[in-house]
Amino acid sequence: MHMALADRLTAILFLMLGLALLVGGYTMDRLEIRQIHPASIPGLVPMILGVLLSICAVLLYRSSYKPEERNAAPVFSGGSWGRLGITTVICTVYALGLVGWLPYFWATFVFAVCFTLIFSFPLDGERRTQLIAVAGALVLGVGVALGSSLLFQELFLVRLP
Amino acid sequence: MSGLGDLVAGLGTLLTPMMLFHAAWATLLGIVVGSLPGLTATMGVALMTTLTYSLDSTSAIFVLICMYVGAIYGGSRSAILLNIPGTPASAATSLDGYPLAKQGRAGYAMGLATAGSALGTIAGVLMLVLIAPPLAEAALNFGSFEFFWLAVFGILISGQLTADTTPLKGYIAGLLGLAVAMIGSEGIHAHVRFNLGVGDLNAGIALIPAMVGAFGFAEVLTAMWNKAGEVVAKKDKSDRTIPDLADLWRYKFTIARSGIIGTIVGIIPGVGEDIGAWASYAAARKTSKEKEKFGHGSHEGLIAAETGNSAVVPGSLIPAITLAVPGSASSAVLIAALFIHGIRPGPLIMIEQPHFVGLISAMVLIATLFMAIYGLTLTKAFVQVLRVPYSYLMPVVFVLCVIGTYALSQRIFDIWIMVFFGLAGFVLRQMKYPMAPLVLGIILGDLLDKSLRRGLTLSDGDLAPFFTRPVSAAFVAVIVLSIAMNMPAVRRVTLAPFRWIGARLNA
Repeated sequence: MHMALADRLTAILFLMLGLALLVGGYTMDRLEIRQIHPASIPGLVPMILGVLLSICAVLLYRSSYKPEERNAAPVFSGGSWGRLGITTVICTVYALGLVGWLPYFWATFVFAVCFTLIFSFPLDGERRTQLIAVAGALVLGVGVALGSSLLFQELFLVRLP
Repeated sequence: MSGLGDLVAGLGTLLTPMMLFHAAWATLLGIVVGSLPGLTATMGVALMTTLTYSLDSTSAIFVLICMYVGAIYGGSRSAILLNIPGTPASAATSLDGYPLAKQGRAGYAMGLATAGSALGTIAGVLMLVLIAPPLAEAALNFGSFEFFWLAVFGILISGQLTADTTPLKGYIAGLLGLAVAMIGSEGIHAHVRFNLGVGDLNAGIALIPAMVGAFGFAEVLTAMWNKAGEVVAKKDKSDRTIPDLADLWRYKFTIARSGIIGTIVGIIPGVGEDIGAWASYAAARKTSKEKEKFGHGSHEGLIAAETGNSAVVPGSLIPAITLAVPGSASSAVLIAALFIHGIRPGPLIMIEQPHFVGLISAMVLIATLFMAIYGLTLTKAFVQVLRVPYSYLMPVVFVLCVIGTYALSQRIFDIWIMVFFGLAGFVLRQMKYPMAPLVLGIILGDLLDKSLRRGLTLSDGDLAPFFTRPVSAAFVAVIVLSIAMNMPAVRRVTLAPFRWIGARLNA
């Protein structure tokens, strides 16, 4: 994807967000019942922000058609989609699923072992290097889970999820 | 000169075995964090904030300052050895540091970087103790009108100077940050805005989860997305770490100029260490007698970049302490940490805690001392640190992102906020939206909102005081000028007199 197309798509998104802020600010309770000063209504700044964001979105959309170098630059290139996808999934599952569902120690242990193994396990390696990778992941998993549990629970007195 | 007296008193408070122990481990950890590409100073300070809740306020702030100073310096390690800046602040360092490493003089490059960083920080600290007290005193006269324009100015200038490609993206990032700050109970009538029916949003979005997401999780994603660099292994036999004093003396003007540029860049709201380094580097190249060496292992270029980025650290603390307006993204986290520990940054700081400026300056100085000791002695160990694979490092970082965020108020909801900001932060970064104005927007949103509505209430809806009071008028002039400078015709006309003077001076 080129920056011009990415900018156009985000400009549309920002325009919608800007209009939503404007409408949200305009329709917000003006607290007349509390007889506040009309210039201090809670929706004032959201309305202003909505207008400004909409203007910026329109300018961004327009600027994406200019024949400039930055518009032709590729976006989301030069990296590994596979690594990004796996990292996103595994981190999100841990943060939003495992923590709170499993006890913190086990959630963290499972996450750290899986993360390390996925990115460092030598699929084509010798049996010995594979065993070392598994052992390394297990040690890291226990270390991180135990270390962070003890640190936060015993030292900072946090009730872990 | 009472500022210098406070600095000495601050040093006296901090020179206890326990405090020095905190400084020793926190600075070392900061250098390690900074030297690892993918872990930045802001992320280090944000994560460390979550690890220092239980410390007393002086120790906690001291640890955070040491982390900040260490991390900004640590970025130079990977910039020199890998050609990948450990933090964005060290991008300019890699231009001359990496060629030096390729010539087998990595040790000397690191020594120069250490000396440059230490001298830059000391220059910044001097300006911190001299500028902060009078600035806080002047800010005591600020009313709602001035604070409104200060917030607008901060976000605008940060958006303008930190944007990679077009200032428009910086402005949009700032507006998005302000929009985020609109969520939750507002500060005047306690009316809940935009909570989308979610009760957890009634209190608004806390800064620490948002920052840990935008600078922690987003950086984990960026690190896994990017390819790893190669450590330079070549070593010249004549290479040594202790820099030649004659070499430093030869570049005394470059060091002084870079220190001043870095501090001034630090004072400008939301414009961080990377801009400080680039501005110092550009100024050094322009005035250098050895222009041709820049980019090919110039000692002067390396010193300018490192002095510039390190001077930003104390510089950015000046507005952070006296106006509660952060000078960089890391100092934005520091402001949040100060509030957590019961210190209220802002103009009243000189009345409520008159010795705080001296104390924080002393913290920066001691951190610099430890940084210099480590920098000149542990070069080989840092090379080993750079060999730690991401597959082992990143799960640890992410676990700290999650549990640190949760520990703030023991709510699972904060972890959701962190993940959201991490994913959004990654996408926005890839599309060249700067993060600093976004963070500044979140921090300054409340100030801007309250100041505008309070000002309008005071003036009974009249807009005139926003433009006629002297300080307000000055802010308006600068704001209009900085927006207008985006137009080529205005820029040409405005810069013409400066070009004319420059041409006469060069002739």
